[in-house]
Amino acid sequence: MEDLILTPRGWIEAFGEIVRFAARMLREVASLRVMRFFGEALRQAGILIVSSTLVIWGLVFIIGLECGIEGAYFTYGEGTPAYSGVFAAWCDLRELVPLVFGYMMAAKVGTGIVAELGSMRISDEIDALEVMGISGMRFLCATRLLAALMVLPFVYLCSIAAGFFASYLAVVQQIGYVSSGGFFLIFWQFQNPPDLLYSLIKAMAMAIVIVIVGCYYGYNASGGPVGVGTATAKSMVLNLVSVHLIGMLGTQLFWGANPRAPIGG
Amino acid sequence: MRDDAHSQRGDVKRTDGKAVSRVSVVDESPPRPGPPEGAADEEYRWHSYAVHPSGRPDAVRFVDTYKSFGRSHVLRGLNMALPEGMVSMILGPSGTGKSVCIKHMVGLLYPDSGDVLVHGRSVPDMPDDELFEMRKKFGLLFQDGALFGSMNLFDNVAFPLRQHTEKGDDEIEEIVMRRLNEVGLGDSRTRMPNELSGGMRKRAGFARALVLEPDILLFDEPDSGLDPVRTALLGELILEIHREMIEEAKRKQREHLPTFCVVTHDIMSARRVADYINVLWKGRIVEAGPAEEMLGSENPFIRQFLSGESQGPLTMD
Repeated sequence: MEDLILTPRGWIEAFGEIVRFAARMLREVASLRVMRFFGEALRQAGILIVSSTLVIWGLVFIIGLECGIEGAYFTYGEGTPAYSGVFAAWCDLRELVPLVFGYMMAAKVGTGIVAELGSMRISDEIDALEVMGISGMRFLCATRLLAALMVLPFVYLCSIAAGFFASYLAVVQQIGYVSSGGFFLIFWQFQNPPDLLYSLIKAMAMAIVIVIVGCYYGYNASGGPVGVGTATAKSMVLNLVSVHLIGMLGTQLFWGANPRAPIGG
Repeated sequence: MRDDAHSQRGDVKRTDGKAVSRVSVVDESPPRPGPPEGAADEEYRWHSYAVHPSGRPDAVRFVDTYKSFGRSHVLRGLNMALPEGMVSMILGPSGTGKSVCIKHMVGLLYPDSGDVLVHGRSVPDMPDDELFEMRKKFGLLFQDGALFGSMNLFDNVAFPLRQHTEKGDDEIEEIVMRRLNEVGLGDSRTRMPNELSGGMRKRAGFARALVLEPDILLFDEPDSGLDPVRTALLGELILEIHREMIEEAKRKQREHLPTFCVVTHDIMSARRVADYINVLWKGRIVEAGPAEEMLGSENPFIRQFLSGESQGPLTMD
């Protein structure tokens, strides 16, 4: 019985600590104190581009193909093959591209940050930085967040392009129940420019949470290599839950009142 | 509250809100402190609390410092000083809080109560910006060197210079290579930390700790994991570099003479290297003073510990 009370209390305490940590990180970036280490932020941005973009685009491309294929066969079965562009416009842009981007960010970038900072923590490298008069929070965490903010909007916009391109390939070039012109007519009819912005906001919210969670678990890792492993696993769980929450709340917030398909009727 | 405590003890006098160092003096026979809360007087029977004078001002001073981690009480009313311009040792059995002391000096840990003063300034009271500035006075050699795994040896040693100075590449190269050559690693500048042996990593950490010419250099168990010969060589290197730094500080008329502090439980290192010895046990200083006086101490605990004998007050408990 006592455990049943203590466990949620532990979760709430941990959540409070993460929020405090996030506030410190965001303050470091917003106050521009992180600019003292802009070189390090650029280096982190370079690492993000080189090591993570292709794998994110690749996964989004595959999801775009699936979305296109299922949409094409479904609309064909219902006698409305011309409307397969709806799937690319809605399913890709609003839901699957942000989710898949979040998954890969959590798996590749989030866990990478936990493992790197965690191993720096247990081998005293973060203490060494602090003793040199350099804030570990600023040099290691804030620079990573700044790098993510600089790079990921572009990475994400390219991801959307990869998803759309994959859906087009599947629907028009592979299956071919609809012409290119017919596909694009419906595709553009079912989206407005603000949708792109909303999708970007969803994805960037996910990215910011993932980087903060990664930094939190890495920066505060303890208990040797096993502790770093545990922290990595915990960060992955929290990130996946966060990605889905942000996805769900974002959809409700941005498109819940859409007159074409109001969520909740 | 803390200021009141200081003024009652008369340890630290503050003028215009600033603390000033004081010179260690022989205990003026104050009443013997009682044991910490929850401890029996018997546990502290070998603590004479005697402090033999060093004749120097204190670079670092612990004042009634308490620190606990959960149920583990590590520092239990620690009063300890590191005299300026000397190679001090904090000696003590394993698990007595020696490394915890180092982390308190540089503000990586804060005491639960009491104070830690560096050149008379209270570390726990410093705001973050001042703390980061104060840390530039320190060089710290971690047990395993704590080199940055993503940088090669040269970049590791150059890192503090690149972050804290406006020196050009040529000047940085000259300083880094001088330090690397001093520790015998001039030929390994492009090697990554994982390609170095434990002893090399320690020496590289030493070079990195030296580049900013710190006032206080701390060594956290520099002998751990080293064979006796390399431990002796590292000890000689520490002494040699301390001598050089003292001469340089005098030539440049720096405000503070370089202070080295070695944390260890290796008695041989203490005999070879130390000018001043603090013996720490159960979170308090048993006895402290210049090395020659400590090595001739009559205290049975000190005699047992400094001679490394199994018979005496210190047991496996």
